[in-house]
Amino acid sequence: SATPDSTEAIDPTAYHYQFQDDPYLSPRTSAESKLYSMSQESGRAAAKYFVDMYPKYFTKDFAEPHIPCLMPASVALSLEEVSEEALKERIGLRKVGAAVEMYDQLVQAGTPISKQMTYDLLDLICFYGDREPAQEGEPEADQTELRRKRGRFHRASDTLRGVWRENNNAERLFRLLPEREARCYSAVIRGMVKHGAFAKAFDMYTDMLNNRLTADVDIFNALILAVPEMREAYTEKVDFITDLLNQMSQQKVQPNLQTFNNVLKVLRRCGALAKSISLQTLSEMKALGIVLTNSPVLPSLCNHQCLETKDMKLGYKVQSLVGVGDNWRLLGDSYQQGMFYYRFFSLLCLMEHVDVVLKWYHQLMPSLYYPNPQGMRDLLQALDTESRLELLPSIWKDVKTLGHDNKSDLVEELLSLMAREKHSPEVQESFADCALDIKAAFDVDRRKPSLEWSPLALGHVTTLLLRAGRIPQACEALLEDFLSQCSGAPTTAVELVKLSAAFCLPATPQLAQRVLLEFDLTEDQRSAGHIANRTRTQTDYWNYWNKYYQ
Amino acid sequence: MIDRCGVSPSPFLSQRSLVKSGTVWNNLGARGLHVTAVQCKNHAARIRVGKGDRGVTYEQALHPHHIGHRKGWLSQHPCNLKGEEGAADRALEDVFIRRFMFGTFHGCLANEVVIKRRGNLLIVCALMLQKLPPQKFYFLTGYTESLLSHFYKCPVKLEIQTLQKQAVYKYL
Repeated sequence: SATPDSTEAIDPTAYHYQFQDDPYLSPRTSAESKLYSMSQESGRAAAKYFVDMYPKYFTKDFAEPHIPCLMPASVALSLEEVSEEALKERIGLRKVGAAVEMYDQLVQAGTPISKQMTYDLLDLICFYGDREPAQEGEPEADQTELRRKRGRFHRASDTLRGVWRENNNAERLFRLLPEREARCYSAVIRGMVKHGAFAKAFDMYTDMLNNRLTADVDIFNALILAVPEMREAYTEKVDFITDLLNQMSQQKVQPNLQTFNNVLKVLRRCGALAKSISLQTLSEMKALGIVLTNSPVLPSLCNHQCLETKDMKLGYKVQSLVGVGDNWRLLGDSYQQGMFYYRFFSLLCLMEHVDVVLKWYHQLMPSLYYPNPQGMRDLLQALDTESRLELLPSIWKDVKTLGHDNKSDLVEELLSLMAREKHSPEVQESFADCALDIKAAFDVDRRKPSLEWSPLALGHVTTLLLRAGRIPQACEALLEDFLSQCSGAPTTAVELVKLSAAFCLPATPQLAQRVLLEFDLTEDQRSAGHIANRTRTQTDYWNYWNKYYQ
Repeated sequence: MIDRCGVSPSPFLSQRSLVKSGTVWNNLGARGLHVTAVQCKNHAARIRVGKGDRGVTYEQALHPHHIGHRKGWLSQHPCNLKGEEGAADRALEDVFIRRFMFGTFHGCLANEVVIKRRGNLLIVCALMLQKLPPQKFYFLTGYTESLLSHFYKCPVKLEIQTLQKQAVYKYL
């Protein structure tokens, strides 16, 4: 019986819900899924452009209650007069430029503004680095592209964060403040770290200490993040972090989850030295009883660690954490997600029984994870270890769907596994069908560049076909193999064609055509080839007669 | 002589009219009384039987009097129930949405667009031909959903199914 809880689970056989539920529009590979989701995003951006360009067509507001996000951007502000209320509205709607403008107007008019409002404004400016909040779609696209180009994770986020300009509104506002509390310092320091002004952040911190204010935990978190940019050598970085943590304990500030996250994040960039320290940090966290949810670094770090130490239990725990509630967001963009699932899956293939592996395979694919060729190879190895080779034809189907059928080493490994030993007749039959399918994948000229036959692969295909008793196809494969072997000797090729014509093999015309195309032949060799080509009509007529009149 | 003066046929009534015009006066400042002979024949949403080379879909082949019997409705909303308001607004929205879909997915629509309203949500179901590559379909889908949401101030979802070629029900 279906309870409400049981109907809530994700359907593992379906693609992500953002895609249309149609075979033509379903993404089969990870590249396709990214392409389709980005096209959808750019469509939305195009619509947003039109809405903002011609707002007069979208101003009629009949939604009850009012939906501000569906109104054009310029109409969103309702309060126009210079007042604190208007300033509050602009801060609430995250309109950085408009808020600063309103603040300046208020100051000029001499209206008293409450301290809280000023601090809120400062927070807003620092958070967005004195620029408008970026839209969701396009920057993400650029971010992942940059990641792939540079190949390292942290570079792209630098360019995305933007630059903290000199004497921008935040600094100006800060200097204008009559009294500076810890909260203001906190906002400015965190803004500086977020937007790349690391040295300034540390200067501000020293300034704050000189004014005899104690820093709070958020400031320390931000400063920890800034450490890698301030020191070059790994040892220096680690020393700096320990120094900061000591200062933290001196000022009696309790570290929270974010502190540990940042420490781990920074340690990741400190090389091998950091491994032991990170384990220490993890144990300290456990000692302090900090709950391990909502930790962005943890999934990828743990995953990496699991693979190193082959710890399956930890792997399962991480996987279950990711499944809880909103934690899937922590996996980051699709590339990181792919890496996470790839590591998890390879760990599974190494450690677990093949039934468990297959269960996870069917659960992860295709809703969450599109395996890459290495992942498929791990799966093949797992199947081989447990002698479950009868599943190979279905694996080949998945390989084709994923678009990995142009990776020759994967296909060759598959073929060699199938052809290695003899199996029961039904299995042989299925293997022969699969071999024919693979052969078709090699031969057919499609948009993708087709594979080159290697003698080993051809040999495997022939063996499989012969074992299942499919003689004509096997002969065809053999002949093709021979033909590819005698690439420099036209006479041998013509002899081959003559031989196949003598035996009235259906493959003769194709062979003849191939020989005519690929080899330099003399005149009589060419005529011999043409005769062989004409055999097609005779064999065809014979087949037709056989079919209908007997 | 005036043959028969029926109620002057409005252009939306489904009656074929043989126009026999007779002006009483000349053109200057005169208004003629046009009279026609009424031919009692329904013509709405019907494709008449022809040579047999024209393929029609199920929707086109069945006539409007089959709605509710062999055909479903193309637009579903609760405004025609007793005590509900806004039927005319919904009708206008439907017309706009149909034209919008026809223009945006130009040449790709295989059949009429079906519009369903569930609460605040507007679901536009369309059957498309596979004339564009999938990424272009997704671009247009994102664009349509976003634009119509901003226009009608309600969430709009598109559900697309694609076909290789138009599903012909019979040839007329």
